[in-house]
Amino acid sequence: MRGALLIVKKEFMELSKDRKTMFFTFVMPLILYPLLFTMMGRLGRNDEAQREGRPSRVWVAGPAPALEALLRSDTAKFQLVDKPAGDLGAALRDQKLELELEPDPEAAAKLARQETWSIKATYDRSDDSSKLALDRLREALNRQDKAWVQERLKAMGASSQLAVPTRVEAQDAGGASRTVGKALGSFLPYILMIMMYAGSMQHGIYATAGEKERGTLLSLLSTSIPRNQIIIGKLLYVFSIGLIVAMINLLSMAVSVGRVMAAEGAAHHGSAGIPSLAALASPATIGLTFLLMVPLGLFFANFIILGGIQAKNTVEAGTALTPGVFVVVILSVFSMAPGIEKMAFLPYVPVLNVSLAIRKLFSQQANYWEYAVALGMTIGLAALMTWLSTRMLKRESAIFKV
Amino acid sequence: MIQLTDIYKAFEVKDKKTRAKMRIEAVKGISLTVRPGEIYGLLGPNGAGKSTTLRMIAGLMQPDQGRIEVCGLDTRKEPEKARGCVGYLSTDLSVYNRFTPRELLRLFGEFQGVDAAVAERRGMHLLERLHMAEFADVRMEGFSGGQKQKVSIARALLHDPKAVIFDEPTTGLDVLTAKTVLDLLRIMKAEGRSVIVSTHVMPMVEAICDRVGIIFEGVLHGDAPPREILERWGVPTLDEVFFQLVAEKERGIA
Repeated sequence: MRGALLIVKKEFMELSKDRKTMFFTFVMPLILYPLLFTMMGRLGRNDEAQREGRPSRVWVAGPAPALEALLRSDTAKFQLVDKPAGDLGAALRDQKLELELEPDPEAAAKLARQETWSIKATYDRSDDSSKLALDRLREALNRQDKAWVQERLKAMGASSQLAVPTRVEAQDAGGASRTVGKALGSFLPYILMIMMYAGSMQHGIYATAGEKERGTLLSLLSTSIPRNQIIIGKLLYVFSIGLIVAMINLLSMAVSVGRVMAAEGAAHHGSAGIPSLAALASPATIGLTFLLMVPLGLFFANFIILGGIQAKNTVEAGTALTPGVFVVVILSVFSMAPGIEKMAFLPYVPVLNVSLAIRKLFSQQANYWEYAVALGMTIGLAALMTWLSTRMLKRESAIFKV
Repeated sequence: MIQLTDIYKAFEVKDKKTRAKMRIEAVKGISLTVRPGEIYGLLGPNGAGKSTTLRMIAGLMQPDQGRIEVCGLDTRKEPEKARGCVGYLSTDLSVYNRFTPRELLRLFGEFQGVDAAVAERRGMHLLERLHMAEFADVRMEGFSGGQKQKVSIARALLHDPKAVIFDEPTTGLDVLTAKTVLDLLRIMKAEGRSVIVSTHVMPMVEAICDRVGIIFEGVLHGDAPPREILERWGVPTLDEVFFQLVAEKERGIA
């Protein structure tokens, strides 16, 4: 293994000499995600604060004193406006108002007769402010309805609980951490796989087809290091880069998301509302996830090395390996689909079973048999690919393809 | 000592039009011996099989048939050991551009199992001999072809190989750099190494080679001192030998 480790050393030394690549590979993710998530979080909160802090503009088309009085009573949430000029749809689209209400012409009479009267509400579902206006209306009417019902019951001398025969008191046994963990578990494998593959692809191409293209491979092959150790060394390098890149990206993303979640939690629910990332992933979960990613990373690295060494140049290698990104994306998207975990065959499908196992780990539904199958299969697959690539790449036809 | 005994090498290539596989015989039964302290010139037109032969001697390829021995080691049976006693310089004027010559030599010293202190001392000695010592700590990105070639030569000789194989070492070099390389080849001969040089530069062959072999369509012709070859063919220059070989081929003799 000494030769393989020397090759790894040489590859990392080469990488360390390229400051730009070093920056974009290792430093950029540490800056990018906090910046991106902080910006997105701030923009989102500002937008929400702006919407929430402004009264919804409502035009009431037709006489409905009770409704108008209800809306006027809450000036923080509603502002009655005059009929907009031109088409109503265009006025909603142009955000001249958020809601148009058309009450039943007989609203007052029906209310007096204790009959149901309707309100036709026109809003723009694509606009958050318009949706907020409708929600506010429903909330206000709900409160008013309850008050009217209580008044009527009181007038009848009936119990105030007459209209509420039952009440459901729901308790979340899973807790917020499981809900968020489930969501996280569904996209985490996707992110890890993409990062591992895409993050190491260019480095793999540089170390294989790039060496061929630059004419340096022959000098390496002419040394006394056995050829299979040269291949294993390059494999270890690509694998290490993939793993490091995935870990850095994940760490940066976790810290950034954690900060955004904490800010959200503090803003809406108090700090206990949304669980911290530490509560979502125990050291065991993180460790088991990492353990699965090791053979998967080796499998990806083999794929990259195979494509890289067999290519005549870097362009050909890039063309051959880029579809791999789409395969990984498709597999990952498939594994994110809702209800996928119920498919009985899935634990036995390579790569997909890794997604499934990680998903279950994070949603606190770990099935250790399925985990063992996924780990065993991925180790087997990685070992098979390593054997295949060292065998194939020792061939002169692969190395001297010009 | 380098010894080739009846070696054959063929490649399979695909015809781009018909997609049919074709077998190209690059080397057909070459045998030659290069003794210690001898420079052997391997000549031949492009595609004659020179580089393939040299790559087989350097252990980068294996012959389909025949036997190659370098420093008494069979390149098939003990490929790593055999490569360890060969200094190989390929035709590409390429080095690891991101490294300085010192870093490159240090790394290749490790690859060849040379002690770090020895590699440092020997590497600097080679760089001095090649007039490159002042560039030892400069990244090779901005080096000229000649400077890169000199560093590659130092890299090939770092582990003190008994057999040296230089594939077109002066191609693309200016006269001064080419002279430095020729001087180094003479020193290697004086040090008792077995040297094979492939080249198109006939004056270089006549100046430094003890014996010459001309590869034409995978077959070795000549294998004798340059003067003897010229006498055998009855021509004044080695270029003329080429022309005669081509003419004989056209007449169906060669």
